[in-house]
Amino acid sequence: MKPDQLNRTFAALADPTRRAILAKLAEGEATVNELAEPLPLTLQAVSKHLKVLEQAGLISRGRTAQWRPCRLEPAPLREATHWLERYRQFWEGSFDRLAAHLHEIQKGDTHG
Amino acid sequence: MAETSATNGTPTREFTITRVFEAPRHLVFTAWTDPRQIARWFGPVGITTPLSTISLDVRPGGVWQLRMIDDADGAEYPLTFICREVVEPERLVLSTRVPTGPGPIVRQAVLTVTLAELGDRTEMTFHVTGLAMSEENAGLESGWSSSFDRLAEHLTPVAPTSSGAAR
Repeated sequence: MKPDQLNRTFAALADPTRRAILAKLAEGEATVNELAEPLPLTLQAVSKHLKVLEQAGLISRGRTAQWRPCRLEPAPLREATHWLERYRQFWEGSFDRLAAHLHEIQKGDTHG
Repeated sequence: MAETSATNGTPTREFTITRVFEAPRHLVFTAWTDPRQIARWFGPVGITTPLSTISLDVRPGGVWQLRMIDDADGAEYPLTFICREVVEPERLVLSTRVPTGPGPIVRQAVLTVTLAELGDRTEMTFHVTGLAMSEENAGLESGWSSSFDRLAEHLTPVAPTSSGAAR
């Protein structure tokens, strides 16, 4: 588990526009123009978001100077999802026990 | 409605769990605020939270402390919450405190428990926001997030524990 990477991932994901960009990239590679098209943003603004995503390692960009298609890098996203899922499981497990506990106390044997 | 996935599996720092319990609302509320009851359910199977480690000051600004113990290896995970809001029997807001001891708070997640009556049953909505594993708590011994993370590692057979490097 790498706290720094996870934190970078979550910080990059905090913005809804960046999440929208990632969602679009989940369908396949896209250029800045293609990404900007459905968004109410200038190319410049989209480029800024792409830079944040790239620095967080969530996307990579092609080398070709003009074309530079963006591509999703799934590993950090998977890691973040996995971490959240385990965190969530902690509480799900607790609530299973809470349900059992509530069942018990209503049978009348609270005091043990 | 899981909010874990915001868009196409993109994780966010928050999530919601909704559960319906076969119990009236006041009982569910008390299960959250009575130390004897917390001791019976806090933490998944494999975790014990002894009554002797639990102290709950149930009022705004009150401190909640407890210590979870991993049944498998005896590892202890202290937790500190600050009680933010208490609206009996329908709402409870807690924030986590990192570090767990004294000193300035460097990180907090907010946990909101909302209880709605469904006849004789109760719908609980548990919302967590502000989750992060951060650089700062990587250096803390008992950071709440990292405690849970380690706990979760114990609870998840997928992840063999091989933590040689200092975190």
